[in-house]
Amino acid sequence: MNHVGSFPARANEASATPAIAFDDIRLELGGKCIIDGLSFAVAPGEFACIVGPSGCGKTTLLRLVTGLLSPSRGEVRRFGDAVQGPSRDVAIVFQDYGRALLPWRTAAGNIALAFEAMNTPRHERAERIAVLLDKVGLTGHGNKYPAQLSGGMQQRVQIARCLAQQPRILLMDEPFGALDALTRQDLQDEIAGLIRDSGATALFVTHDLDEAIYLGDRVFALEANPGRLAEIIDVGLARPRNQLQTREHPEFLRLRHVLFDHVQKTH
Amino acid sequence: MSRRRIEVLLHALPAWLVPLCLLGSVEIAMRVSGIQSDGLALPSQIAGALVAAIADGEIFLRTAETIGAISLGVPVGGMLGLLLGVWLGLSPRAARLASLSIELFRPIPPVAVIPLMMLIYGLGIRMEASIVAFACFWPTLLLSRDAVLGVEPRLIEVARMLGLSYRKQITKIALPAALPRIFTAVRLTLGIALIVAVTTEIAANPFGLGYAIISAGLSLRPEVMYAFLIWLAILGWLLNAGLIALHHRLFGQAYGDVA
Amino acid sequence: MSNWSLRTGSVLVTLSIFLFWQVVTASGLVQPIFLPSPSSTFTNLWQGLTRGDLFGLTAATMERMIYGWMLASLGGILLGAMVGLSPRARYWLTPTLELLRPLPASTLLPVGIALFGLQPGMLLGIIAFGAVWPVLLPTIHGFSAIDPRLREVARNLGIGPLAFAIKFGLPNALPDVVAGMRLSLTACLIITVVGEMITAQEGLGATIMMAARSFRSVDLYTGIILLGVVGAINNTLLGFIERALMPWRAGRS
Repeated sequence: MNHVGSFPARANEASATPAIAFDDIRLELGGKCIIDGLSFAVAPGEFACIVGPSGCGKTTLLRLVTGLLSPSRGEVRRFGDAVQGPSRDVAIVFQDYGRALLPWRTAAGNIALAFEAMNTPRHERAERIAVLLDKVGLTGHGNKYPAQLSGGMQQRVQIARCLAQQPRILLMDEPFGALDALTRQDLQDEIAGLIRDSGATALFVTHDLDEAIYLGDRVFALEANPGRLAEIIDVGLARPRNQLQTREHPEFLRLRHVLFDHVQKTH
Repeated sequence: MSRRRIEVLLHALPAWLVPLCLLGSVEIAMRVSGIQSDGLALPSQIAGALVAAIADGEIFLRTAETIGAISLGVPVGGMLGLLLGVWLGLSPRAARLASLSIELFRPIPPVAVIPLMMLIYGLGIRMEASIVAFACFWPTLLLSRDAVLGVEPRLIEVARMLGLSYRKQITKIALPAALPRIFTAVRLTLGIALIVAVTTEIAANPFGLGYAIISAGLSLRPEVMYAFLIWLAILGWLLNAGLIALHHRLFGQAYGDVA
Repeated sequence: MSNWSLRTGSVLVTLSIFLFWQVVTASGLVQPIFLPSPSSTFTNLWQGLTRGDLFGLTAATMERMIYGWMLASLGGILLGAMVGLSPRARYWLTPTLELLRPLPASTLLPVGIALFGLQPGMLLGIIAFGAVWPVLLPTIHGFSAIDPRLREVARNLGIGPLAFAIKFGLPNALPDVVAGMRLSLTACLIITVVGEMITAQEGLGATIMMAARSFRSVDLYTGIILLGVVGAINNTLLGFIERALMPWRAGRS
């Protein structure tokens, strides 16, 4: 595993408990070794992006954080505690939003599901749903069914439902992969703002290198067969980021090169 | 037994173990409780009646009667329905013009037609075949119409771009594309035909498997009734499985799926 | 051709069919005993409904059919839910149930008569018994085939098994359940009519059977039309139920 250039590890990493810690993880599924010797840590409040070729276990990695999968060896920790199973303060946004929303509930109804699961008092729910709809820019669309919403809007509903959990960790599995370029850009900026406002730790899986650099504080580049960490790239770009200016910034372009070269090597 | 055979048996375990256990416990329960009823029979008695009916050929006679009526009625009703349905599918305008008439006449249940055919033909095979034909006409009409209407419009565009004549568009593109769904329509229609034939036999016609079932029931021979029921279930299952296999053979490779 | 002209054209086609029917009977090509004229048929229909007992007979048939259907649906949905939600029950029971699938609904009529006898009250039970099967298998399927992604969402939110069955299982199963209820209603109509024919219980089935036996073709055709109306009402009823229970499907093409 390399550090690119001489980027130091994050200054406060040693002192604070990492939000997510992978400790020498090995995962075997169906007889195949998907991940082996994977170790890394994400600091609280950090926006970490994961990139890598297919087969490197990017998606499986998120399941290990939710606790729906257990490693064959090693330990996954959330805020210092070993992961035992799903927890309500970990939320995950899926790529196939169409399958992750209840088709028989309206947008508001889908968000309400999170409150029902958390036993939030009934009289609070309506207002909190309205606030969330506003946050994701869907005011007035609350009583529409998913089938009546565009792809981007459906993904926003899913994000709103995850935010309703007030998660400490927000996992995202290529959430914008199925959307068109313009919607993707809008949602990138929105999610960056939402994460910053909520203070949650974000772990964002994507195959889009530009997206990873644009959104992340750090980019973890994995290699495949078996999946393990190859490089950590610090993204020292200023926030808030801008679709035009940030992407033209010389530092952005340099990081692109670095990441691109890495991907070439590991393919 | 070979290893493969054992695997197959184990894989289908619920399919044969559960019915066997069920029948076994029913047998034991009935013997132990000494229950007597005109409507119940020991599974062993049913098996005996089934064997007897096979041995003296009665079961084959009745089956042949039912199948005879179906083989007469399905081609007539099905062919009419198919031709009309394909035509309506090819011409959406004609489909719209016919829509009210179809909606008015199609809710008439085939069972309502039983006394009518009895009036016209008396009892026997022709009466039953006409009812089967009536029952097959509507589903074949509607399903083949939908099959043709449901041909991917992109394909028709391609045909037009290639400059194919209208007739060639139909024979080279529309009909082959609609064929799997038409075959499914035929399969469903045959299922309906069996149901309607047996229903007619139960209701009125002293002919075929349905008649065997109801007369055994009314003459207080429940073991014969259940035996024929089991035979009917097997027949229906074989018919459906055979048609699905045929669908696979005909369309599996080229079209990739079974509707 | 415009929408409006197609609509009127459709009506004209229907009217011309009736006209053709009238002409054929008037010309004497077909004996009135096999094909009465539309005028006499519809006159008889009108008189029977307003002054005769046709309305009562139709109501009797419909009542039997609907009660049997409600019983069958209730039993089928409860049973189907229990089996569908339990992977073990599904594994062991579904293959056996599939073996029973090809049996026509009407074949259970002789069994019902043999078991319960020919008394009037029993017909309802027989109808319900026969109509359970068409709704059972689709219900089992509906409760079992929940998208794995939704299961993950439920697990992540920490939703318990009962809440899962009600909030996820039931709505997910509704399309299949309603489709099964549609098949069940069709089966109910068949069993009711055939049951009335065999047991001579008061209703449309017995009426048209007797009309045929006494060669009263006008009464026969009238009865057939009424049964067609019952079939159409069934369709409309189910349409309402579908739209009421599944509002989220309205927007789909």
